[in-house]
Amino acid sequence: MSLLTGPMRKHLNGHKELTSHTELIKVEAGSLVYIPLINGNSKAVEVLVKERDRVKVGTMVAKRNDHFTVPYFSSVSGTVVGTQKLMHASLQPVDHLVIENDGQYEQEQPFGTLDYQTASNEELVNFMMNAGIVGCGGAGFPSYVKYRGVKGIELLIINAVECEPYITADYRNTSDHLQDLVTGVKAMLKMSGAREAAIAIKKTKKDFIPLVAEAFKDCNNIRVHEVPDVYPMGWERTLVYEITKKRYEKLPGEVGVIVNNATTAVAFGQALTQGRPIVEKVVTVSGDAVHTPANVLVPVGVKAADVIAACGGYSAEDVLLIAGGPMMGKTITSDQFVITPYSNALTVLKNKPVNTVACLRCGRCSDHCPAGLQPVRINQAEKSKNVDMMAKLSVMDCIECGMCTYVCPSKIDVTEGVRRAKRYMALRAKK
Amino acid sequence: MKLTFKPSPNYRDSQSTGRIMGELTLGLLAVFAFSLFYYFTNYTASYGLRAILLLITSVVSACGTEILWCIFTKKDVLNSLKNSYPWVTAIILTMMCPLGIDYYALAVATIIAIFFGKLVFGGFGQNIFNPAAVGRAVIFASFAGATAADIVTGATPTSAMAAQNWIINTSEGMNSFLSNFGGLGNMFVGLYPGAIGETSSLMILIVGVILAYRKVIDWRVPVTYLATLFVLATGVGIIHGAPLSYSVFHLLTGGAMFGAFFMMTDPVTNPTSAAGRVLFAMGCAIITIVLRLRSNLPEGVMYSILIMNMMTPMIESLTDGQQIKMKAKNIRSILILFVAGLACTLLIGTTIEPVAQGSAQAGETNGTQTTYTVTAHGFQGDNEFEVVIDTAKGEVVSVTMTQFNDTPGIGDMVDEEYLASFEGCTSEDEVNAIDSVSGATFTSASAKEAVIQALNASK
Repeated sequence: MSLLTGPMRKHLNGHKELTSHTELIKVEAGSLVYIPLINGNSKAVEVLVKERDRVKVGTMVAKRNDHFTVPYFSSVSGTVVGTQKLMHASLQPVDHLVIENDGQYEQEQPFGTLDYQTASNEELVNFMMNAGIVGCGGAGFPSYVKYRGVKGIELLIINAVECEPYITADYRNTSDHLQDLVTGVKAMLKMSGAREAAIAIKKTKKDFIPLVAEAFKDCNNIRVHEVPDVYPMGWERTLVYEITKKRYEKLPGEVGVIVNNATTAVAFGQALTQGRPIVEKVVTVSGDAVHTPANVLVPVGVKAADVIAACGGYSAEDVLLIAGGPMMGKTITSDQFVITPYSNALTVLKNKPVNTVACLRCGRCSDHCPAGLQPVRINQAEKSKNVDMMAKLSVMDCIECGMCTYVCPSKIDVTEGVRRAKRYMALRAKK
Repeated sequence: MKLTFKPSPNYRDSQSTGRIMGELTLGLLAVFAFSLFYYFTNYTASYGLRAILLLITSVVSACGTEILWCIFTKKDVLNSLKNSYPWVTAIILTMMCPLGIDYYALAVATIIAIFFGKLVFGGFGQNIFNPAAVGRAVIFASFAGATAADIVTGATPTSAMAAQNWIINTSEGMNSFLSNFGGLGNMFVGLYPGAIGETSSLMILIVGVILAYRKVIDWRVPVTYLATLFVLATGVGIIHGAPLSYSVFHLLTGGAMFGAFFMMTDPVTNPTSAAGRVLFAMGCAIITIVLRLRSNLPEGVMYSILIMNMMTPMIESLTDGQQIKMKAKNIRSILILFVAGLACTLLIGTTIEPVAQGSAQAGETNGTQTTYTVTAHGFQGDNEFEVVIDTAKGEVVSVTMTQFNDTPGIGDMVDEEYLASFEGCTSEDEVNAIDSVSGATFTSASAKEAVIQALNASK
């Protein structure tokens, strides 16, 4: 913390102990699975199968077809039923491809395997694209884009920080698949052209650090980098600044850095060695309103309700069901949305009343904003619909990490006010 | 079974506004308790009780005003009162007042502070002026004479320094000035007369550091304020060749510490950005010293806060933006303010002149006895003494006051009986060992000064 800026981050109680050492529960797909046809905010998805087509686990069923290419794979074997509009985890109605599960789980290798040591960089990037490797930190950004035509990259950061409270899925999945992590990271390091890779892990994960360090003991250019247990340490900008002390305008490439999630690296490793796309995910189900908090292994396209049921169901009458962690995940009033290739958690919390009082202008939100914004001022500008002021306050730089609402002692929904400002600005920009 | 929607995030810190204000209240009461200790031990129980009754008067007036407001505006009384924290204003205001203030004056000031300082702006969180400072300004402007006659605590260091034109340019002068209040150390601890809660820098510092650590107050404000005030005071001191104790005196007196930790940190009335708070505190320091040096107001701190409160919206707008990108501009703003403030202060510093100290004039000699005429500065004016010294023995024979220019009714408690106590003194130490007349510290000091100068002249 300095005289002119706040700490821009804060330690949160992570409640990670709820799930960090529980048994991995395997959730079976029901008679129908629903593959969500969306990536990021893009719904430009071409369906590659017809009704009544037979598909296997790993069959490519659809493809994002705009400036990015992202294939979608079936997570079960069975018959295509058609498409259906369902509520998605990102709180919008989205077309889902419905597949009837025959329970046979017949496998298909949609893209083969590849030896990263002999493959060229171009081959690796194409492989990554065709394997549908997306950012598993929650955003689902197609990973190959980061490596396409790279130059001047000096450092690859593997993000195993997992700073959202309650979530331990990365930790769990990475610990269970260390060999895939090693393969994935080595391949990514080769593709990036960087001299070294740093695997960022919170220094409080005492059992995890030696495990990863041991797995990489033969690689002298890949090291574990311990980072403080603060939120949002896993945000790209915060993480890059912590490790390199550099800030960038738009993309970390500007300062010679590529950041990828650890689970993404594991998925890439599995694709390279086993020819397996992301058809199932380790998802943390946690919170104070779910019966048995646990990490679950669940096929893509299974409904949240089935996952919650596998964890003993809800333990309170009035709950908040959150797709993701409590900070950035959205609450959804129906548990009929499905697990996506980049889902990492379902958080179920008791709905406790919040007593909101007047803002005392304490400035905590401005002090802690990881983007260096002033949420209190943005809220004032939003109330008076002062567009010039909103623009001056760089409203659109907000990533909605939720820090401002978290720290607000008056319990105001500060982040929601900033969201309103962003929507207002976006609408005006369209006009 | 119900799935509820709430905008994210759905995770909140346990810190609440209620808890922040609660901790602030406790901190203030701790400082107040120290003052009670001082009044009960150094004066009589009636002084201590008066402090307690003043506090109760103010808190009751503040809460009463809020309750009436709630009734008239048809709000839920208990809930509004709980979320408006009128007692904090009341406690701060009481602590800024001298013990002698009349109950009715404090009550009226509190009501005005709460009503015009806070409620008419829209209540807690909306007011632009620090309500307690508003109340203090009301007392200063309208109730300066409203003091109880039976409460006599002596001159405060601030008014005494004001009588010295806010500059004492020699080490000896500064030492003898500070010795009236037991020296800098004693001033730091707070065992001297002053506003009820503003005297103990030690206590304010302890409580302030704890509150800053607990994030109840922003550490940037007191740090910037006190550092700037110290640098500016040192600048003025250097112009006049004053010792470092002069700069330290500026920090310890006139509620500078209290204001820095408890009033400038009021989040409602200062900017929300970190850089804005630095500018705010720096502005307060500059205005404080300018008011001290150039105006007749010992309450520079309080006025500086009110003036800077008006600047808050401008500072906010100056520092608005992405804070990392704004850093260079913010540093520039702070540097410009500092340089401008320093230049102003130094220019003003050259215009002030120290009060001339009288010297002993040897008069008629009668055998071994010589009469010295000495002028010494008292509380407001110069007092003239005739000191007869037996030059053979080097001891004081008699002291008479020939001209009296201090406050009638207070300073003239230094009477013949008191002056007779100097008879037989042979050294400066012996003179200083004689107790001052309680309530007439300055006139007593002028007598001591005269005797010492006469003794020195006779050697």
